[in-house]
Amino acid sequence: MDNLLIAATERSPEVTFDSAAGTLRIKGESYPEDASQVFGPIFNVLQDYLGQADGKGLKVDFELIYFNSSSAKALMNMFQMLENAADVDIEVNWQFMADDETMKEFGEDFSEDLEHVTFNLVPVS
Amino acid sequence: MSEGNSKGGFSLFDAEERILDGAKRLLDRMKDGDPQLLSEVGILADAYSRSVREQRRLVKVSDRLQNQMTQLNQELVRRRAEAEEALEQLRQAQETLVQTEKLASLGALVGGVAHEINTPVGIALSCASHLDDSTKAIRALFEADDIGVDDFERYMDTAADTAKLIVANCERAADLIRSFKQVAVDRTSSERRTFRLADTIAETVTSLRPNLRQAGHQVAINCPTDLVLDGYPGVISQVLTNFVMNSLTHGYETGRRGHLRVQVEAGADDLVRLRYSDDGQGISEEHRNRIFDPFFTTRRGSGGSGLGLHIVFNLVTGPLGGTVVLENQDAPGASFLLEFPRIAP
Repeated sequence: MDNLLIAATERSPEVTFDSAAGTLRIKGESYPEDASQVFGPIFNVLQDYLGQADGKGLKVDFELIYFNSSSAKALMNMFQMLENAADVDIEVNWQFMADDETMKEFGEDFSEDLEHVTFNLVPVS
Repeated sequence: MSEGNSKGGFSLFDAEERILDGAKRLLDRMKDGDPQLLSEVGILADAYSRSVREQRRLVKVSDRLQNQMTQLNQELVRRRAEAEEALEQLRQAQETLVQTEKLASLGALVGGVAHEINTPVGIALSCASHLDDSTKAIRALFEADDIGVDDFERYMDTAADTAKLIVANCERAADLIRSFKQVAVDRTSSERRTFRLADTIAETVTSLRPNLRQAGHQVAINCPTDLVLDGYPGVISQVLTNFVMNSLTHGYETGRRGHLRVQVEAGADDLVRLRYSDDGQGISEEHRNRIFDPFFTTRRGSGGSGLGLHIVFNLVTGPLGGTVVLENQDAPGASFLLEFPRIAP
């Protein structure tokens, strides 16, 4: 299965997906011209992985500092996709700067509809 | 811009589109059923469709706003960097000008002292030359064995007088050189040392004497002779020089004789109070709060750089760690009060 390694740009985050380890990390800022170009590849690998996880779990680390509205919508879709993969053991770590109340609230919003996914709010300083 | 385009293989509103398609199919399946039910489901589907459109619109608007904000922020950062760079360049230019001004005032000082030394050296030289002539004449008489008591007595008088004049004038020249040397060294080295304030003031005034004497100005110094400072004599000398030159440039019309005063008191808490005043034309009300600004001058055309008092301000508040103010006074003229610690910071 494919791994994914996308370097950060000024307006898009760094993305690391390791299919053998079952980890995905999205780190940085996200306010691209076209959110589907940034999140499309992530959706594709996730779909493949979740479809044939075969007992393996998935750990997702979000280390986002800032994102725009279409990125937020893409994230919402991504959480929906994770939630729908009820047979895969999924853990999400939502990192935010301890003093960034907004980013914390975004995490809480996203976690609201999740039942199968373990969602951790992780404040860092 | 963000949805619709499916280069990445997905639409942001993919799920919503599928539900809308489902609703369309559902309505299609219901079209032969209860018209009331059909109408109510149709209303729900319409409302959802509008809601999704509204979501798309909001996401678009919000993205655009966030973009603009980011661009504005970047612009702000760029402008700020530019402004800071410009400020730094300005600071450097000012520093260079201040340095140039200091050197120029040192140059004027050298010129003045050279002029001042010229007089005693000239007198000593003509005395020596006169003595030489007299000696040659008396030797000629002596060798011709034609020397009389009167001749010899006259020669002795000449020799005594000229020798006295030569000694006095050479001492005068040596004094001038000594005091100038001290001023010049302090001025250029800006080294810290302990010094008697009265000596520094006297030496500075001596070095300015050529400028003062031309117009017949007088300087009264009133300073405790035992007041010893630990700090920068060159700075004090520069400050006084700038005050005096300002008085001479601005204070007096040609032909008026000025009375300049330097008064020093050793105050409490080891604080030195130095007041410099003149009895010239004073400083007009409109200029009073601008005189310490760099490049402020009323004599731009005639060679004023507008840096004299700015340098004073920088030196007093900088190296001396003190304050300088232009005093309000009833008497004519200008009066500046400096207060600074006896031991420089």
